[in-house]
Amino acid sequence: MRAFGYIPVREPAEAVRAVRRAPGAAFIAGGTDLLNLMRDGAQRHEHLVDINRLDLASITDSTRGLRIGGLARMRQVAEHRSVRENFPVLAEALEASASPQVRNMATIGGNLLQRTRCGYFRDAASPCNKRTPGSGCPALEGWNRGHAVLGGSEHCIAVHPSDLAVALLALDAVVHLLGPDGPRHVPMDGFHLRPGQAPHVDTVLRPAELITAVEVPRRTTAVRSRYLKLRDRATFEFAVVSVAAVLELRGDRVRDVRLAFGGIATTPWRSPEAEAVLRGAPLTVDAIERAGRALVREAVPRRHNGFKVALVQRALVELLSGLGGLR
Amino acid sequence: MNGGLVGRPVSRVDGRAKVTGAARYPADDPVPGALHGFLVTSAVARGEVVGIDTSEALAHPGVVAVYTHLDLPRLTVPPFPYCKGFIPLQGTAVHHAGQPVAIVLAATVEQAQEAANLVRVDYRAEPPTASIDDATEPPHMPRPFRDRPNEITRGDAAEALVAAEVRLEVRYSSPTRHHNPIEPHATTAQWDGDRLTVHETAQGVNLTRSVLAVAFGLPPERIRVLAPFLGGGFGAKGPVWSHTILTVAAARLAGRPVRLVLSRAQMFTLTGHRAEFRQHLRIGATRQGKLTALVETTTAQLTRTEESIFNESDSTSTLYDCPNVHIRQEGVPLDIATSSYMRSPETTAHFGLETALDELSWELGVDPVELRRRNHTAVNQETGAMIRGKHLLDCYRIASEAFGWSRRAPRPGATKDGDEYVGWGMATEAHTFAAAPANPPVTASVTVGADGRAVLRIATQDIGTGTYTVISQVAADALGMPLDAVTAVIGDSALPFASVSAGSATIASVTGPVDKAARSARDAVVALAVADQRSPLAGVPADEVVTGHGHLFHVRDRARRDSYRAVLGRHGGPVEATGSLPNAPGHSYGAVFLEVRVHARLGSVRVTRVATAHDMGRVMNRRTARGQVLGGVTWGIGHALMEHTVYDRHTARVVNPNLSTYLVPVCADTPAVESHFVDRPDPGSTALGARGFGETPITGVPAAIGNAVYHATGRRVRDLPITRDKLL
Repeated sequence: MRAFGYIPVREPAEAVRAVRRAPGAAFIAGGTDLLNLMRDGAQRHEHLVDINRLDLASITDSTRGLRIGGLARMRQVAEHRSVRENFPVLAEALEASASPQVRNMATIGGNLLQRTRCGYFRDAASPCNKRTPGSGCPALEGWNRGHAVLGGSEHCIAVHPSDLAVALLALDAVVHLLGPDGPRHVPMDGFHLRPGQAPHVDTVLRPAELITAVEVPRRTTAVRSRYLKLRDRATFEFAVVSVAAVLELRGDRVRDVRLAFGGIATTPWRSPEAEAVLRGAPLTVDAIERAGRALVREAVPRRHNGFKVALVQRALVELLSGLGGLR
Repeated sequence: MNGGLVGRPVSRVDGRAKVTGAARYPADDPVPGALHGFLVTSAVARGEVVGIDTSEALAHPGVVAVYTHLDLPRLTVPPFPYCKGFIPLQGTAVHHAGQPVAIVLAATVEQAQEAANLVRVDYRAEPPTASIDDATEPPHMPRPFRDRPNEITRGDAAEALVAAEVRLEVRYSSPTRHHNPIEPHATTAQWDGDRLTVHETAQGVNLTRSVLAVAFGLPPERIRVLAPFLGGGFGAKGPVWSHTILTVAAARLAGRPVRLVLSRAQMFTLTGHRAEFRQHLRIGATRQGKLTALVETTTAQLTRTEESIFNESDSTSTLYDCPNVHIRQEGVPLDIATSSYMRSPETTAHFGLETALDELSWELGVDPVELRRRNHTAVNQETGAMIRGKHLLDCYRIASEAFGWSRRAPRPGATKDGDEYVGWGMATEAHTFAAAPANPPVTASVTVGADGRAVLRIATQDIGTGTYTVISQVAADALGMPLDAVTAVIGDSALPFASVSAGSATIASVTGPVDKAARSARDAVVALAVADQRSPLAGVPADEVVTGHGHLFHVRDRARRDSYRAVLGRHGGPVEATGSLPNAPGHSYGAVFLEVRVHARLGSVRVTRVATAHDMGRVMNRRTARGQVLGGVTWGIGHALMEHTVYDRHTARVVNPNLSTYLVPVCADTPAVESHFVDRPDPGSTALGARGFGETPITGVPAAIGNAVYHATGRRVRDLPITRDKLL
């Protein structure tokens, strides 16, 4: 691991200026991913700008919704009363993430920016278009059991690993940013980018832009929401497949539903096609299965990850039939 | 007279030191003037180094030296327990990805690591082969390893198979797995003229010494190896690996002590692993389930530099009564790091055998426990000799009763609880433990000092299993002292000889000598007392003196007593005695019964209940023995449900060389384990009735889980690990 400069800052604008000025600088908050990336040689930074002292850790609850500071810790959000009562999918996604130790350190902003767990990306001696653009993607023909069946390109099929992002996507959250040109906000749907021709770009963040907050609009329907995470061991492991669902029923019909998926795609994955199948229809296992088929219509399975196509459909049935009281 | 410490669930005598950090592991203590080493490893798996540019690395702050094959002296490749077949940095050939090609020495570990990134290596690369499936040549049977034949023939298995009333032919497979002890491998080498001191994460201080002596052409007496504590070994630290030799060589070249610690990723290529394994099993039996033929061909990963087979077929050849056996152990050479022993080398072949018996039990409609009873043997299948002190049938009875096996549903897929299928499975456990070599003999020394306390010295190791505690119990009992009056000093090759802590050999090989040395020391102190007119025991015949609680008593008149402290104080100096005792290899046994729950829709498998019973002769310490059961069951869950090392088939690099992607069980994956012990002393044991045990309680767990999954779902998974994609 290469030596790096350490720059502590106290104000958000100061943080942005520091990263803009120092070449090769990055923000560091919890450091639970960044330091591993630097140790593994997957990322190099000349300077780290420590933003832990910024006043961006609070969670405020209002009639408009929930505003979660970018530096709020995962544990702090998962334990927040309003999160638990009004947005259970969010609390469940957070509690299904990482380990208690990591959740004590890791921040909401950092969570959205964590890099893929693709073994080729994390191995500095392997080619990887995400790490070294143009070097190739060994996962396409190599070990791809954990890789995406949706949203990939011929340059990259790495999965975005965040559970939180999947839940926020289902909740129509908005990401608030502060950059050299001032503040702006971006919907979660569109915050993460598919690899396309440029897999090294994970998000719409511009250079030196900082996540200051995530806003979750208040919707009473989010009370009926849930996160299902399937993985290869009981805890402390990323999703093979995950589903976040927010469901609003009127009688036995689906008034509204929002579905987001993890583990199967290169970005946290929203499926308007699956939602459209269900919206307005009676909630039945048959309807959920049709929604699942709509979800995976464009799926491109590889040598080892084909099972995800079937598994995510089953996970959707499991989650929605439970949430909708079908069993 | 102590009431017997041996057998009691005594807490670890080193427990407090371990949890407070007072226990110093081989890489813990700073060595004055030491440089930090870091290895530059090959990016390619097969080919040749054609150029190394070290200039940028040498210019990095703090860097003292970068050594390559151009710098290192020629070294001798040691035989087993060096099991790599070649020493890196002796030439330009590259045999596997992750092979060392240079070593960087710097003032700090961070500087050495970063400079290692700055060494530019050019390769001429050839396409490698990384898995048995991709091998271009057919498997072959290598020459015997350590005089153990790769072909075992008994009776006429081919004919018996043809004649059998029932035949079963099945294929099983398991992937590469890595040991992953929590403590990384570490070496600190310090030369003083032509004398060498090495602080090493070693399961065998003397084994390490002998390997280094060969590699460097030194008399072993000039080498001292220290390993007072070990943060887990599991076989990974039994052999000596190339980084140890390279660190020692670098320290000599630099003229300064060098410390080198492997990174987690390097542990996946610079140490050993359990080889990827295929097993083709054909079984002949009567309709009652009596085995008549066992024909097994196994295929293991080999490498182009080393063809030893570590995945042993002992269970197939010896566990059950079967007159006709034919086993062939084959392999294919690949371009990966060498495999080696890993906790319970039987485990891979045992999985197939115990699964096949389950398959046979369903085919015949015979309860799997009953099937095993019908094939139980009281004689050694290879020698025909009676096996003394074998209580495997008791294990079946005790564990099945504890589990409630008699209430098992008679059909697969018959029990559902909510969304989950519930299944029960069982398997036999068996392990061959090793004996220490006869020469030099394992020797313990016990010194009773003027303070009346005893110091026990022996060059054995505590690899986390509880050696410190058990040998202290043994010595305290033999001396008649309280436990805290005995201090065990181990993990140093300068101490009286002991062998490697591998093959579950430690308790079986060291407690006999410890007991003997302690009894001799006690006898010497008693002799001093009865010969001393100042002693209340003066003139008493020595055989009428008993000891206990640090005192010496007349056996009929307990008021006539003296103390170790008083006797030694009057004597004016310490009393020392040594003891040696050979031991023989043997087997420990057990049975594991467990319950799994399989989610009907999602294929998630949970192990929810486990009951075990084990027969390892006398139980020396119920607490540390139970620790081995818990560890073994946890390992078995890992092997059955998640652990596997993945090689990229094009580059032969390990894709998951870290604990984030090489999954091992977490607490939530491991249920409570009800463990029982038969606890009857083995009459043939020279270790107070104990046998080697530690590796026994993993052997049956993977098969028991697979068998339970079958009982739950009717799905038979023959390829480990049993991940949900195989159950959808």
